[in-house]
Amino acid sequence: MQAETSQISDNDLLKAIARGDEAALTGCYDRYRLILFSLILRILHDRHEAEDVLQEVFLQVWRRAKDFDESRGRAFTWLVTIARSRALDRLRASGSRIRSVTEAEADPPDRMGDAAEDAVRSEEAAIVRQALAELPEEQRRTLLMAYFEGLTQSEIAARLGDPLGTVKTRMRSGLMKLRELLRDQRRE
Amino acid sequence: MTHNDYQERLAAYALDALDPVDSQALGEHLSNCMQCRDELIGLRDTSALLAHAATAQAPGDRVRAQIVSRVRAEAAPTPAQVVQMPVRGKTVWPNVLRLAAAIAFVALLAGVIVLWRRDSRLQREIARLSRRVDTQQNQMERDRDLMAQQKEALVLLTSANAKKIELNGTQVAQNARATVMFDEKTGRAMLFTQGLPALAADKAYEVWFIPKGHAPMPGKVFIVDPSGHAMIADQMPPEAMNNAVIAITIEPKSGSAAPTGAIYLASRAS
Repeated sequence: MQAETSQISDNDLLKAIARGDEAALTGCYDRYRLILFSLILRILHDRHEAEDVLQEVFLQVWRRAKDFDESRGRAFTWLVTIARSRALDRLRASGSRIRSVTEAEADPPDRMGDAAEDAVRSEEAAIVRQALAELPEEQRRTLLMAYFEGLTQSEIAARLGDPLGTVKTRMRSGLMKLRELLRDQRRE
Repeated sequence: MTHNDYQERLAAYALDALDPVDSQALGEHLSNCMQCRDELIGLRDTSALLAHAATAQAPGDRVRAQIVSRVRAEAAPTPAQVVQMPVRGKTVWPNVLRLAAAIAFVALLAGVIVLWRRDSRLQREIARLSRRVDTQQNQMERDRDLMAQQKEALVLLTSANAKKIELNGTQVAQNARATVMFDEKTGRAMLFTQGLPALAADKAYEVWFIPKGHAPMPGKVFIVDPSGHAMIADQMPPEAMNNAVIAITIEPKSGSAAPTGAIYLASRAS
């Protein structure tokens, strides 16, 4: 099954899931489990909770695949957004306070287990990480706090002790610059 | 705000990091501005790529099997059944009938909540209903989420620490009503809503807990069933246990970190 689904585009995979194709769902799981689990675990810092949320995410994918509209963004974005939302919901519901900034930024070595990784996906990851590394540190930190901790601009400003206007500028500049860098990458 | 001001806030909006007031204003602007909507799509795509910054980690092997078994338990409709779905009245899809029975039961249960403390006859009624729940659990084996919530509702109802908050519909939803029952000790809460309009596919309702002088704290994101009811389990944040307003707003389907849409239901501030 894995060999068959690996040629299908993300969009077609979601369309198949919307038709009730269980093999498409497991194909999607195999393709996306690393990126989604890594994201959820980064947000929750708890492996057991993260596995729980990963299940919920794919149930939601199963139920809502028919709502995916490719004219409104990439399938990657749709899937990642579901995972991020469910993880942040779980983070807030569990009542546990958000971890410190330094812990959120810590970058332990990759631990990918035995799974074969989609070659295209790992290339995209490398490109994005490279682009992020090229951002000024303050801009990168603002983006990562917003994304992985679900903080608003005011909360980030309060946490860092920086003026709100500064945080707003960094966030906008950071995302714009990231977009630019990634566009340049694709043109090469 | 000028159009430029709105544009400048799109990046933060794409990251769900815009503060509530700005977020609401930009949300309204977006419903009228295709240029900003298009730009937002691109910015959301860029934001989503931030997920690659997380260290690569693999989930345990059993997760895949658990997803498969839960998906099979949900009995996905085949193309033939999908075609039959819009048929009203007698339907060949047995789960709809079971779900309708469950909804009727929940409505019955909701009616019981109002008076249970005051009448000992209702205590016996609750005992009878709990036996009925056991019977219906055997019939509704596939509808696990609903089952778990019914159990939780009963635990909550019979708890000595249970408190009740009523929510009333606002201008946009005058027929809507909701009740929140929660356990003061554990914070476990059940929300029962009725009369909420069905929403477009890209929207959902979201619960907010608003302690006095505090920013709204997000609760569950949910949609109503075809009869306009919803029963949701949630967790009251500790800050909201005494003296908080509870509200329900309309949001994008995957929810929002802060309220952006119109308020449909709200409790009275005390």
